[in-house]
Amino acid sequence: MTQINDTRGIDREPPKWRSFSKPYWDATREKRLVIQYDTDVGKYQFYPRATSIYTGKRHLEWREVSGKGEIYSFTIARRARPPFQGHEPFFIAVVMLDEGVNVMANMVNCTVEEMKIGMRVKPYWHPLSNGTHLLMFEPDRS
Amino acid sequence: MGMRDTAIVGFAETKIVEKSDRDVWELGADILESLLEKTGFEKGEIDGLILSSSMTGAGNNFWSQATADQLALEVDFCQTVDIGGCSPTGALARAAIAIDAGLCTTVLCLYADTQAAESNQRQRHFQGEWTVPQGLLGPPTSFGFISNRYEHQFGLDYAMLGKLAVAQRNGAVLNENAVEKLRKPITIDDYLNSRMIADPVRLLDSVMVCDGASGLLVTSKKNAARKGLNKIVVPVGYGERTTYRASEAIVDVTETGHMPAGQKAFAQAGISAKDIASFHPYDDFIIAMMIQMEMLGFCKQGQGCDFIREHDFNFNGDLPLNTGGGQISAGQAGLAGGGTNLIEAVRQLFGEAGRRQVTNTSNAVVTGIGGIPYARNWNSSVVMVLTPNG
Repeated sequence: MTQINDTRGIDREPPKWRSFSKPYWDATREKRLVIQYDTDVGKYQFYPRATSIYTGKRHLEWREVSGKGEIYSFTIARRARPPFQGHEPFFIAVVMLDEGVNVMANMVNCTVEEMKIGMRVKPYWHPLSNGTHLLMFEPDRS
Repeated sequence: MGMRDTAIVGFAETKIVEKSDRDVWELGADILESLLEKTGFEKGEIDGLILSSSMTGAGNNFWSQATADQLALEVDFCQTVDIGGCSPTGALARAAIAIDAGLCTTVLCLYADTQAAESNQRQRHFQGEWTVPQGLLGPPTSFGFISNRYEHQFGLDYAMLGKLAVAQRNGAVLNENAVEKLRKPITIDDYLNSRMIADPVRLLDSVMVCDGASGLLVTSKKNAARKGLNKIVVPVGYGERTTYRASEAIVDVTETGHMPAGQKAFAQAGISAKDIASFHPYDDFIIAMMIQMEMLGFCKQGQGCDFIREHDFNFNGDLPLNTGGGQISAGQAGLAGGGTNLIEAVRQLFGEAGRRQVTNTSNAVVTGIGGIPYARNWNSSVVMVLTPNG
């Protein structure tokens, strides 16, 4: 089995949030995944935006979701900028959550042979220095 | 329509270099002087200035105004176009409508960037919050996803992407303005064996950031005739789409805004894909060209590899493609890089491509790609149809 850097050892800066994305990051302190839900059309969206991508109105609420989904696509990064430079290769995946949005994230506990489009995944929360957590995924073998 | 009343009367291009020791405004001055000498226009006749984006200019919110001042151009209309690799072709379209609307009569479209020597960009975008923490390198990573997803949906014969890479490299060997480092022939095996950057994107799939400049002088057909300039190139169709399917949470990354943009451009021009004499698609990554072939109707979605297998993309082949090497083999002049394939298309229609001159100059199609969105394909797509003498 080909192991690949799971990126947990990389010392990365916690991201700066915007006025409209702060609830997302606040929830990650408790390892909860909340994403925006448009109450007019009954659909989710990601990444967080100041407006509904569906209507242009702001009828949005934050809903907690399981974070389960499947691999939509992925790549193996073999070149990167600091602080990732020198820690390649590592996965960057696009995960399609069961709620119908795509999320980009690193992968843990996953070999190169195991990684496949369509593979079921579940969330893995990586702690950041400011108390928030970064959403990663791992294979859901249940 | 008004765009057809526009005439490109001259084109100019500097050599593309890995890192310029000359200032971006000096490159701009080269382009201006070259256009004036070729067309016989006086500087004072230029009353419009439209710039592509520039990583060097990115630190200056007064970029078109500052460049007009540096080049001592007194203008009635100036702007910078900020749709990434679509900016040079977008600038030409905007020049045409500005002239048609009477805002100005003669526009310098200037595409100059020294990103390798002096990048002043500090982008405000989603990346800092949503992809920098994941170690995303940027475009190569995104094209890694796109390629893997394409392969999953349709299958992908990488040797066919290699065939496009080889054809473009053949063009760069014949192009004295291409960056010297890349003016050596390659084989499909060289392509397949080049190292991975973001699987399955290889080194020879990717553009190399360089420095350089190009430009067009654009005026009304009537003014061109008054000046006795009979050799002109005319934009006869244009389509532009930014954030294709923005109102959907998940968009098939193998489908792009080139479909609606191409349909619009081809309808205006009265052509379809089979009529295209030479094709100059935006090439940041090789697979982007194949996806554009599908979106523009050369073949059905998912059949790009079969289409590539059946055609010869060299300058003397049945579908000449990026005959000067494209950005991938001529070097990407930063955000001015979208000008490289546009200038080559115009050069071919002027019949001034020398050793790589195509025989069928009835038209040329040039495209643009600009910006990489979150887990989607690309932000902006443009398609322009050009013909000689309208």
